[in-house]
Amino acid sequence: MDARVWGILLDSFWKILIKGIQVTIPLTVLSFFFAMIIALVTAMIQYANVPILKQIVRFYIWIIRGTPLLVQLLVVYFGLPNIGVRLEAFPAAVIVFSINEGAYCSETMRAALEAVPVGQVEAGYCVGMNYLQIMWRIVIPQALRTAFPPLSNSLIGMVKDTSLASNITVAEMLMQTQRIIARVYEPMALYLEVALIYLVFSTILTWLQRYGEKKLNAYEGSK
Amino acid sequence: MAVLSVNNIHKTFEDTPVLKGVDLEINQGDVVAILGPSGSGKTTLLRIINFLEKADQGELTFDGTTYDLKTISKKDIARIRSKTGFVFQNFNLFKNKTALENVTEGLIVARKMDKQEAEKIGKEMLDKVGMSDRYDYFPSKLSGGQQQRVAIARALAQSPEIIYFDEPTSALDPELIGEVLNVMRDLAKEGMTMLVVTHEISFAHNVSNKVIFMEDGVIVEEGESHEFFANPKQDRTREFLRLIEARHDN
Repeated sequence: MDARVWGILLDSFWKILIKGIQVTIPLTVLSFFFAMIIALVTAMIQYANVPILKQIVRFYIWIIRGTPLLVQLLVVYFGLPNIGVRLEAFPAAVIVFSINEGAYCSETMRAALEAVPVGQVEAGYCVGMNYLQIMWRIVIPQALRTAFPPLSNSLIGMVKDTSLASNITVAEMLMQTQRIIARVYEPMALYLEVALIYLVFSTILTWLQRYGEKKLNAYEGSK
Repeated sequence: MAVLSVNNIHKTFEDTPVLKGVDLEINQGDVVAILGPSGSGKTTLLRIINFLEKADQGELTFDGTTYDLKTISKKDIARIRSKTGFVFQNFNLFKNKTALENVTEGLIVARKMDKQEAEKIGKEMLDKVGMSDRYDYFPSKLSGGQQQRVAIARALAQSPEIIYFDEPTSALDPELIGEVLNVMRDLAKEGMTMLVVTHEISFAHNVSNKVIFMEDGVIVEEGESHEFFANPKQDRTREFLRLIEARHDN
């Protein structure tokens, strides 16, 4: 590669990275935070077998998992204005990513809750705890331990999925890259560069996951 | 004085009758062993008495108050449970809590006891079952016998009027059974009221003062422990004891 391309790469690196820090990371963190709340609540509704609410949750998961994320983004950002709901691009992206990821993580959480042996709940009742106390102090902590690796997976997946937000004008890393490409016309080098930055983000998260698992393993024995 | 009595308990699991009208009375300081072959309904009986299963029919009298087991309220269930302890076959220690936390959890969360006071009681109970050097161990780091002793400490911390044991040694390796039975023997000596579903004939013989033999969802025979073993009245009881002894001789 010649000096010109190196110059472009160096110059664009910070421009892309700054969008990562300003947009991609906040978009991921916010969306994942809300997704976790949605997942926990909907998983608990399914676990506890709450009538009617459970049907609503199943319907929600069915719709969200059955349609493409990109289409969901387009419907919310470009479609909703037709019925008078106008959203800024960033909040629209947060809403869609939260709802989308919430549906997938809900299934992860439900499976993890169901994997906690029923004896743990019975033991809780026998020492006088009520249902919510047992859920909060015994079942959910154990379920989170089980769900941690697949949830980390979802988080890493989400970092990369945020690139889809460029389709609804969110100025995140990929859009920034495309803008630079339009100017300097070096698609190969620049797409690889942004790919590398995503890789760095994912790698850091993988390290964090390993660290987290080690912490959580304390009560699981030295597996 | 009767701590607990139950009347006419019926339970059916999907068309299979498991309990067909069981009566039981347990007095203060009694150590009652329930014997019987697998599928006789003894574990179900214990679970119904502590509301882990719902009876189809039956009454329970605790502390002089009688409740209909079909209509008993959550509040009454919680009140009765707060005065009982339950020891499971598979220990069921909270996996995400240390030995000490397992014992204090109910005191702190359910009884809103001050943490320091709960820990004092927790340590006292763990000392009592010989687990003073394992306060901070998670269940995964303890042997089956140790886990079961922590489970007994957890039950004791409730300062229960009665402790129910559901085959407390059945999941243990043979060499670990003794340590758990010793703890139970000590409790019996101190006058703790206990209802024990067990396969340990020697425990039933030497520690319990009353034995109940169940089969096919009914109580076939019950009586004072020495009398029960020395002089069983029903053919079915004799046959069961003979089979057990034959197994022990082998």
